[in-house]
Amino acid sequence: MAATETQGVRRSRGARSWSSILRSSPRIAIGGAVLLVIAFAAVFADAISPYPPNQQNLRARLQPPSAEHILGTDHFGRDVLSRIIHGGRVSLQVGFIAVGIALAVGGVMGLLAAFYGRWVDSTVSFVVDVMLALPGFLLALAIVAALGPSLVNVMIAVGIAYIPQFARITRSAVLTVIEMDYVTAARAAGSRDNRIMLRHVVPNSLSPVIVQVTLSLAGAILSAAGLSFLGLGAQPPTAEWGSMLNAARGYIRDAHWAVTYPGVAIVITVLALNMFGDGLRDALDPRRID
Amino acid sequence: MLKYIFRRIILLIPILLGVTVIVFGIMFMTPGDPAILMLGENAPQAELEALRERLGLDQPAYVQYGLWLGRAVQLDFGRSIRSGRPVTREISARLPATLELALLATLLAIAVGVPLGVLSATRPNTAVDHAATVAAFGGLAMPVFWQGLILILLFALVLGWLPPSGRLGGWQYYVLPTITLGTSAIAAITRMTRATMLETLSQDYVRTARSKGLPERSIVYRHALRNALIPVVTVIGLQFGQLLSGAVITETIFSWPGIGRLAVDSIRAKDFPTVQGAVMVFAVMYAVVNLFTDVLYAYLDPRLKTRYS
Amino acid sequence: MRRIVLFIAAAAFAFGGAHAFTLTVATTADAVSLTTHATNDQPSARVMKQIYDTLIVQTEELELEPGLAESWTQIDELTWEFNIRPGVVFHNGDPLTAADVAFTLNSLRNPEIAAPGAFILGFVEDVVVVDDLTVRVLTSAPFAPILAHLSHTATSVLNERVVTEAGEDYGTEVVVGTGPFRFVSWEIASQIVLERNPDWWGGEVLPERVVFRPIVEPSVRAIEVEAGAVDIAYGLELSPRDAMRARANPDLTMAETPTLSTTYVGFNAQKAPFDDVRVRQAINHAVDVEPMIDAILEGFGTAARGPISDMVFGANLDLEPYEYDPELARELLAEAGYPDGFSAMVWTNENPIRIQIAEIMQAQLAEVGINVDVQVLEWSTYLADTAAGAHDMFILGWVSVTGDADYGLYALFHSTQFGTAGNRTFWSHPRVDELLDLGRTEADPQVREAYYFEAQEIIAEEAPWVFLYLLLEVNALQNNVTGFVPHPAGHHRLYNVNKN
Repeated sequence: MAATETQGVRRSRGARSWSSILRSSPRIAIGGAVLLVIAFAAVFADAISPYPPNQQNLRARLQPPSAEHILGTDHFGRDVLSRIIHGGRVSLQVGFIAVGIALAVGGVMGLLAAFYGRWVDSTVSFVVDVMLALPGFLLALAIVAALGPSLVNVMIAVGIAYIPQFARITRSAVLTVIEMDYVTAARAAGSRDNRIMLRHVVPNSLSPVIVQVTLSLAGAILSAAGLSFLGLGAQPPTAEWGSMLNAARGYIRDAHWAVTYPGVAIVITVLALNMFGDGLRDALDPRRID
Repeated sequence: MLKYIFRRIILLIPILLGVTVIVFGIMFMTPGDPAILMLGENAPQAELEALRERLGLDQPAYVQYGLWLGRAVQLDFGRSIRSGRPVTREISARLPATLELALLATLLAIAVGVPLGVLSATRPNTAVDHAATVAAFGGLAMPVFWQGLILILLFALVLGWLPPSGRLGGWQYYVLPTITLGTSAIAAITRMTRATMLETLSQDYVRTARSKGLPERSIVYRHALRNALIPVVTVIGLQFGQLLSGAVITETIFSWPGIGRLAVDSIRAKDFPTVQGAVMVFAVMYAVVNLFTDVLYAYLDPRLKTRYS
Repeated sequence: MRRIVLFIAAAAFAFGGAHAFTLTVATTADAVSLTTHATNDQPSARVMKQIYDTLIVQTEELELEPGLAESWTQIDELTWEFNIRPGVVFHNGDPLTAADVAFTLNSLRNPEIAAPGAFILGFVEDVVVVDDLTVRVLTSAPFAPILAHLSHTATSVLNERVVTEAGEDYGTEVVVGTGPFRFVSWEIASQIVLERNPDWWGGEVLPERVVFRPIVEPSVRAIEVEAGAVDIAYGLELSPRDAMRARANPDLTMAETPTLSTTYVGFNAQKAPFDDVRVRQAINHAVDVEPMIDAILEGFGTAARGPISDMVFGANLDLEPYEYDPELARELLAEAGYPDGFSAMVWTNENPIRIQIAEIMQAQLAEVGINVDVQVLEWSTYLADTAAGAHDMFILGWVSVTGDADYGLYALFHSTQFGTAGNRTFWSHPRVDELLDLGRTEADPQVREAYYFEAQEIIAEEAPWVFLYLLLEVNALQNNVTGFVPHPAGHHRLYNVNKN
């Protein structure tokens, strides 16, 4: 029974195969490829980075890019490339955990609101409205200030700041699904609520949420960098892109590579995530026009 | 319509209350002590206690909130712990700076984003389309402070065209902060314009216009764009919230005397009344802009008018 | 051609003193308030210094000279009498009286006002008016550095009537002093405008107007002065690389001064392993300060020989900085029972320069087997937790603002000052306690010096700190700005600055 239902849903989305999506959407293909490279570098950071990321050499400070240090060295003589590679691991981690928190909390909130309606819905909607009325970055900043500056707290704070968006999107996605015949049928057949939610509603409302995940990853990485700029990010000597930028910004004029390249790393990653997410949105949108 | 606006304004009250509770909760959890911040590195215990008492910090948290709320409903938002100024004065001195910046950044984002979106939509899946997409998303991908510093270096120092920072009157001071803040909002507007333009261009009345042999320019700009822009209006409203977030960092870099900087500084100084005031202003701005876009949306799209009456 | 140049130069010289000009100063942050009742922070003091006067003036060479007090006598061990300069008027036209002075000093000490600078007058028992132009300061115990304390900007003399009438608006809306400049306007977070007080008792005031612009980002402050948008930029040492560039810039003149501040790493001397003097000495030997000064400060600093800056009265210049000797450090650690080192935390606040110190220290201590974790704390938490003794090691700076060893040592090393009062290492030594008490009460400067010399020898030997460096303050001026003399305490006087 479940199998037929799933098929029905697939068909409703226009039965596009992954290969056709990739062919028709260069955004997904290119964005995805770049992300794969970044993820690969992050996972195998220890193996591929030429130097340990925190190895100081005060005699080789602010060296311009050379054969020895492809992207130069920073103000402590650390290898910029090695730090960017390791920093990628940290930045991706921050992004994923923050979005994970937002998805877990916001997703459940949205699901419950849409599924149960009535006071559950109005309570969740109120909380979401209140949180949206606070600028997200300011909320994150206040939370980090409350919890103390550290990487873990940045993840929590950024995660909380993204909760309302996930709650909202999940709620509307679930509301659409819930109207579908198979849910009504399952309800009529007397299935238990959590069974309906897990087996029917969640899998079928995933696509807008997945899109939001990729777009939020991009935003979360930028927010974490912004918090680092204000001194509320990773603890030294951890290589994290935002804090690398922050620590080296006094050297931008005579050792621009220590500032430029971590910035470029952020731009490429965030750009790739946005392109990927945007492509995904078009591809998964049933009203899509080519 | 008036009734609808009135209802929305009434609905704002519980939201503002919720905002102050959240802000108070966070501030209460925040460790540290404004008294220590003011007295510094060598403050005899007795002096610390005297200052805490003067500032009312010796009271339990809920009493502090209650007292604050009691006065706030009478529109007395207290005085800044740090400077001793009335919070309303701290805010009114800075509000124009933030409003100007956010407004100019929005205008910039529209001025760049809409043409870019139209360009994309009229040549879908061509090199032009892809380039426009990358450009729009590139603006979104740049860390605000990184971009700000690079702009200052280039335009203030290397070229010497514009002042590096400050808001001392004169249009020159507005250029760099507006660009820095505005670029991040371009992407959403471009993408939305592209999507709605594509949808409109495929609709019957456009096909009819084409079959009548109307010039493509006139079809795109006189007929399609007008209808396509309606949903873009909502995106602009949503972007405004993001802009306020971006303002926090933009104002810091450009020494821009706005509310974003005030909020950051007072969070760090644990200046509770000022944080409350600044955050409430943000919430009201956000609500007003969204109400405005909703009303505008209804006005532009007659089909929706009935829903709001 | 040459003659024309000479002529212009002569003309400029002849009219130089009289032309009206505005002096624009880029400062590190906006003032918090312009009353001593509300604040004791540096950015505010930098502005208040122009608006107010103090009884005693501390010159740029740290000499103490008559200010609003024309003369003074010590009547007995506990009583000082000050004669107020006659004919001084406030910016609003009110004459300065002894009552204003007594009000200033007594209100600063008033617990209800809870002024942040109250501790400056911690030694005062009472201040009483004798006649219109005479006040007496009664101290609770003999207090030798009294004159230095009465030169502190926290004791800026206020107008009793105006302060009382303005109430809570005083200091932000209403500001009245006797100083060389009067308050004109304050665009919050944007600029503070002052104008010349033509009736200033201290002589001619050259700038017609002074504008203070808070520019928080140090690099942007440097760019402002390089682009010619401001006349003077303060505090470039906060971004040493920019200070270096400014120094190399032919369009700018540098005004650098040693400061009264010492940057140090404090131990928790009551907590193992830092309760062992050999461990503290070992760390002093294991930390190499010179590369820190080069790499972090770009050379804008000098290694500290002891706890106080060389410029402070009573500084012992015979002390030698600890030598970098990791071998000796390892030996000392082994002697203390830590042949394989140990793990510890070093705390710092969000100050980028201190964070860099922590990072280099981390690498250096690893060489002798000490495994250090760096933790960055928010400022007030940092102060509270170090005052509670929760730390292993912390990085802080101390400014001996009054330029007197009492200020630089008493709060930091006396056993009565544990915790928030200033002694965050919880280290004490009976002889040091005794010497600091003697130095505080002894009137003869030479005898005082001897006490302080001995105290510093013990402190250096016992090493409750890692003595790091003395910071230089770096200000950059346009080449046409003359007469700017930086004050080691950081609040520079501007009345004598000229612009050609």
